[in-house]
Amino acid sequence: MFPILAVWLCVAMLIVVNSIMTGFVDRVRSTGRSLEGDVVVSASAMGGFPYYQELEQKINQLPQVAASAPVISAYGLLNLPDYEISMGVQIVGVDPALESKISSFQQSLFWQYQAPMQAAADLKGVGFPTTVPKLVQYAANLVSRALDEVNRRQKAVDELKPVPPDAWFAGIREHWQEITIEDAQQAQAALEQAENDFDFVQQLPTSDSFADAAALTKALVPAVATFAPPPEAVNAYPTAQAEPQYGCIVGVDLGFYERDRFGNYHRPEGFRFTPVVLTVVPVTMRATLATPQTGQFMIVDDSHTQVFTVDSKTVYAPFDVVQKLAFMQQQQRLDGSIQPARASAIQVLVKNNYDPQAILTARDAIANLVDQFETQHPDLSFAGIRIQTWDQVQADYINAVDNERNLIMFILGLMSLVVIVVIFLIFFMIVRDKTQDIGIIKAIGGSEAGVAAIFVLYGVIISALGSLAGSITGVLFVLNDNWIHDDILWRIFGITIWNRSIYVFSEIPHQVDPITVAVIVGAAILAGLIGAAIPALIAGMQDPVEALRYE
Amino acid sequence: MENLLELADVHKTFRLGPDQVQVLTGASLQVKPGEFVALVGASGSGKSTLLHIAGALEKCDRGVVLFRGQDLTKLSRSRRHFMRNQSFGFVFQLYHLLPELSVLENVLLPAIIAAPWWMAFVGARPRKTYALELLEQLGMKDRLKHRPAQLSGGERQRVAIARALINDPPLILADEPTGNLDPRTGHTILDVLTGLHRSRRQSMLLVTHDVSIAAQADRVVKLEDGIVKPT
Repeated sequence: MFPILAVWLCVAMLIVVNSIMTGFVDRVRSTGRSLEGDVVVSASAMGGFPYYQELEQKINQLPQVAASAPVISAYGLLNLPDYEISMGVQIVGVDPALESKISSFQQSLFWQYQAPMQAAADLKGVGFPTTVPKLVQYAANLVSRALDEVNRRQKAVDELKPVPPDAWFAGIREHWQEITIEDAQQAQAALEQAENDFDFVQQLPTSDSFADAAALTKALVPAVATFAPPPEAVNAYPTAQAEPQYGCIVGVDLGFYERDRFGNYHRPEGFRFTPVVLTVVPVTMRATLATPQTGQFMIVDDSHTQVFTVDSKTVYAPFDVVQKLAFMQQQQRLDGSIQPARASAIQVLVKNNYDPQAILTARDAIANLVDQFETQHPDLSFAGIRIQTWDQVQADYINAVDNERNLIMFILGLMSLVVIVVIFLIFFMIVRDKTQDIGIIKAIGGSEAGVAAIFVLYGVIISALGSLAGSITGVLFVLNDNWIHDDILWRIFGITIWNRSIYVFSEIPHQVDPITVAVIVGAAILAGLIGAAIPALIAGMQDPVEALRYE
Repeated sequence: MENLLELADVHKTFRLGPDQVQVLTGASLQVKPGEFVALVGASGSGKSTLLHIAGALEKCDRGVVLFRGQDLTKLSRSRRHFMRNQSFGFVFQLYHLLPELSVLENVLLPAIIAAPWWMAFVGARPRKTYALELLEQLGMKDRLKHRPAQLSGGERQRVAIARALINDPPLILADEPTGNLDPRTGHTILDVLTGLHRSRRQSMLLVTHDVSIAAQADRVVKLEDGIVKPT
C-alpha cells in the first residue's frame, strides 16, 4: 500500500506542477503573441525609421502578409491634473482600426470590448428574438436583482458580531466573517456590472431587434477600437470647449485602480473621461533629444493585455498625434529638403499564422524585402532595422518562464527518485519477510528468473496502479485548481496561494499535456521496476535450503 | 531392476564459523522403482542433507547422484529446477505451505510453476480436477478454500502430500513428515503415505528418527558417521 501511495503522490505532484507551469508558459506565450502581431519590423534607434509608409506598402504586397500597422513608441510623462498624479510612461501611438486587426489591442480594452462582451453574456437570458425595450426591461431586472443581493449580503455583514479573541477557532471564524464581507463586495461588483449592462442597452437605438445572441453581441461591441470620446464624455466637462480633442487609453496596471483578490479591477467612479496631459520627449533620427511636446487628452478606456510590463507603463494615443508630438512627422529641413515621416515599428499579421513555419517564411520574405529597401534608401542604415517574429521579441521573458518550468520539473523529478528508494526498501523487507516462501517455491521447482519475475511484476503492478491513481488525481486536481483554491483553500481555511491582486492572470492557468502525462507515468513505472529489481534479484538468488531454514 | 535413485560415495562438508563439519563422508544409497526406503539416524547425522542432495535441492561436494541414470550433479540450474518440479515430490516436517494461498492453490502451485510463464494460471487448470481428486482421497475435500493457518497440523501435512503428488513425480522425498505431529496424527499421516505406496506403487524415501515409523518401509537404512549402513 505504501509504495502505491508514494508513486501516487509523486505522479500527481509532477502532473499538477507541470500542467500549471505549462499553462503559465502557454498563457505567457499566447498573450505575448497577441501583443504585437506575428512579425515586427522595428528600429533599434530610438528615433524610429523613415519611409515606413513605402515599406509598409511593399510588405502588404507580399503574398504571406495579411495586414500591417505602423506604431510609434516614445518615452514621456503622464500627468493627471485633477488627481495631481505625474509619472513616466511609454507612449504608444497606434491606428486603433489597423491595430485591432493585427493584435489583441481591441480585446484588451475594458469599455470597448470586455464590458460590452460581458453585457452580451449577461443579457443572453432574455431569450431571442428580442427587441431593445425587452432588453432594457431585462437589464433593469438584472440591476434590481443585483441590488437585492447587495442588500442581502450587506445585511449579513451588518449582523456580524466581533469574535472574542479567546473564542474557539477565533482565527478561522474571523476569516469566515471576512468571507462574508468579501461576498458583499463581490455583490457590489456584480451590481456595477449590471448597471453597466443597463447603460449599454440604453445606448442601443430603441427600434433595433436581434434575432440571436450573436446579433446582440455585434450591436453591443464596437467593430473596431477608437480613441474618439463617446458622446456621453461631454457630461464630464462644463463646456464642450473644455473637452480635450483626443482620447487616450491607459494601461490597467498604471496604478489608478485597486485590484481585489479575485483579480477584478475597481474603477473609481468618474475616473473615465478624466483629462490628462501627455508630454513626449522627441528623439531625432541621430538620437539627440528635442524639446518636449505636450498634448491634452482624456482617458477614454483602459487596456489589460495581461502582460504586466506593458500594462504598468503604457499609454496609447492616436498615431498621428503621437507622431507629431514625437517630431516624427514629415518635416521640411532648414535647407529646404524634406525629412520623411518616421515610425518606430511596423507590426505584421501573417496569413495562416497558426503554422509557425508560415511565420518564419513570412519573416524571411520581409527580411529580403527590407534588404532590398535599404539599398534604395541608404539613410535607413542609421535606424538599424530588425525583423523579428513575435517569439523572438518576447524571447527573454518567455525563455525565462520556460527555463523556470524545466528547472522545477528537474528538481521535482530528482525528489521523485525517492519513489525508487521507497519501493526498494519495502521490497527488500518483503523479500526478507517472505524468505521461507521463496524457499518453498524454489524447492518445488521455481526458477531464479521465475521468482525474480514475481517481484518485478509486483513492482510494475504497484507503480502502474500508483501511476493510474496519480494521473487521475493529478488531472482532476489541475482541471479543478481554481475551484479547489477559491472554494476550499480560501473560503474554508483562509489559505491563498494564487493572489490575483499580484499575478497578471486572474485564473490559475493550466494545460494538461497528454504526452507529458504519459512520460511521467512511464517514468513512474520504470522507477517501480528499478526499485523492485535488486530485491527481486536477491529473492531469485536465494538458496532454497537456506531459505527453508530461515526463521 | 535398474535403480530409480542411486547415490554413490557422496561427500558433503559444511563450514560452521572457523570449523568444517563433515556430514557425509561417502554415503551411498539406492532406491528402486516402487520401493519404500526409510532412512534413520541420530539427530544431526545428515539425513536431511542426504535427502536434499537426492532431491537436487542441494549439491554434494563429491560423489554421484543418479536419477534414472542421469547425474544430478552435472545438470544445469534450470534442469535441476525442472527435476525438482517434475521428478520429486517433497514433504517437509514443517509442511512449508504458502500462508497467503488456499488449500487448493497450494496444491496447484507446482503445476502453476510447471506451466510456461505466459499461461502460468490457465496452464494449471487441467490439473485442478486431479488436485480435487487428491484432496478428496486425503479427506480434505471440505477444506479447499481454507488458508493453512485455519488447518490443523495433520491437515496441513495432507495438503503438503497432495502438493507433492500433483505433478505425479516418480519419487516422494519425505523429511520427518510426522516429526511435528502428535503420535496419533503422525500415524494417520504415515498410513496415508504407506497407503499411497501400496495403491500407486509410489517410490518413497522417508527420513525419520522414529524406528516404529521406519518399520513400515520395505527397507530401512541407517546413516551413521557420514555413511549409509544397512540395518
